[in-house]
Amino acid sequence: MILNDALVAGMNIIGDKFRDNTIFVPEVLVSARAMNAGLKILNPVLADAGVEPIGTAVICTVKGDMHDIGKNLVKMMIEGQGIRCIDLGVDVDPEVIVAAVKENHAQLVCLSALLTTTMMGQKDVIDALVAAGIRDDVKVMVGGAPITQQFADEIGADCYTLDAASAAKAAKRLILEGKTA
Amino acid sequence: MTNRERAMRILHYEPIDRMPAVHFGYWGELLVEWAEQGKIPMSLAQSWGDGNAADEELDRIIGWDFNWSHVVGANNGLMPPFEHKVLETLPDGTMRVQNGDGMIERIRPGVTSIPSEDDYLLKDRAAFEELYVPKMQFDPSRVNYDYFRTFNETRRKDIPIGVHLGSVLGSIRNIVSVIGMSYLMYDEDEDLFADIVDTFADMQYQCVEEILKTGAKFDFAHYWEDICYNSGPLLSPEIFDELCRKHYKKRNDLCHKYGIDIISLDCDGVTEKLLPTWFETGVNTMFPIEVGTWGDQFEAARNKFGRGMLGVGGMDKTVLRKDRAAVDAELERMRRLASLGGFLPCPDHRLMPGTKFELVQYYAEEIKKIKI
Repeated sequence: MILNDALVAGMNIIGDKFRDNTIFVPEVLVSARAMNAGLKILNPVLADAGVEPIGTAVICTVKGDMHDIGKNLVKMMIEGQGIRCIDLGVDVDPEVIVAAVKENHAQLVCLSALLTTTMMGQKDVIDALVAAGIRDDVKVMVGGAPITQQFADEIGADCYTLDAASAAKAAKRLILEGKTA
Repeated sequence: MTNRERAMRILHYEPIDRMPAVHFGYWGELLVEWAEQGKIPMSLAQSWGDGNAADEELDRIIGWDFNWSHVVGANNGLMPPFEHKVLETLPDGTMRVQNGDGMIERIRPGVTSIPSEDDYLLKDRAAFEELYVPKMQFDPSRVNYDYFRTFNETRRKDIPIGVHLGSVLGSIRNIVSVIGMSYLMYDEDEDLFADIVDTFADMQYQCVEEILKTGAKFDFAHYWEDICYNSGPLLSPEIFDELCRKHYKKRNDLCHKYGIDIISLDCDGVTEKLLPTWFETGVNTMFPIEVGTWGDQFEAARNKFGRGMLGVGGMDKTVLRKDRAAVDAELERMRRLASLGGFLPCPDHRLMPGTKFELVQYYAEEIKKIKI
């Protein structure tokens, strides 16, 4: 009840307001900080009660990209949807991402790129997932300042969203779709 | 007609003989690429900076007329800066570095991307008053008086040169990071963030005033902010207005008093929601109008704000990685926007790796054929 009716429901409201441009990054960050403080208290209780996250996402910025504000924002919002996030950090090799997907049985990979010079790193990850034979086991979501729907389509990503709130909702949808597929 | 006259006439809706070929510089990696391809000397790639001798030499080689970001100003940052030092080297080679602003960044050798923000020193009023207030004070050593007293005689007279007005909020974001800025706005000491903005802004105002008092004449004044991203502003437009309006107004009024009527502002991303604060206080020229995030928004913003809104930028630099047909299509779009008046085409940010040298030369040559 505390998780679903208070923390998650609260973050959903924050997400909607953020998507609608009625609140902005600072309000989301402060809300996410409060959410995480609540989760820190709640997580041991949930674990004891056998409550599982709805799924697992691997998240990072791609090779060559050190800029992680957007990635961190998306991570906070995704966690707010009850999804476990494996945060690999910044400037991550495709092989490391593939290994993390396998090891954690992730259903979703979230790739961030801030720069036009690093955006092709998202395609490198998708290529690595194909080469490893696990592309069909995982959904790939891409985002970042230079990314567009057209670019996402060109590189074969499953999902592109413009903002962190939409990313969180899409992440939940993709994971739930995967479970019913 | 000089390129200085052309640019200023465009921004005052006056006819010109031809469009100047204006740019906004390069990613360092691109210049190295071009040097390795034998297009330019490596020495230029290694020494390039906005408006410096290497920039002017590249203008001659490529065919550009000038770099819009040719501005001069005072030392309006933290003074003295914090010691730049490596705090820790992690097993994977990542270094945690304290920079001159007191920000702790993660830097990985060989990666030239904007660093990852890890931590920051300015977390509370005690840190502000002890560590930062002394570094945010005006001191005459911030201004090179000798340079500005002879500026009118020694400056290049054929291109526009601006006076740098500093930044009202962008510099603060550089000091405390986006996360720090967000927390400081909402943590217990609710006046602290406004005090930080006010203290820094007062010093920057004095820097500009001292420069203008020397008698140096400028073609335009210029802010740097970078306070927006691809979804809009990094903070609420209402809070932005509350914190910043008075400082823009004060600095812009000062410019007007000294006869500067073109006040440009460099802000990446989707700036639409902040435009009212800027335009109502006297900023009138948006730069570099990132097409990748704005789309065709210059025209939309012009329709919304009228002829008082001027623009420098708005040219989709990515076509310079493609082919002549893509460049021709963009030139046609530039021709249409230029016909509105008050718009000076310029690539919408630094030219990036993969940009084709010959296409840049072609663009610089063709843009000059536009007449208004």
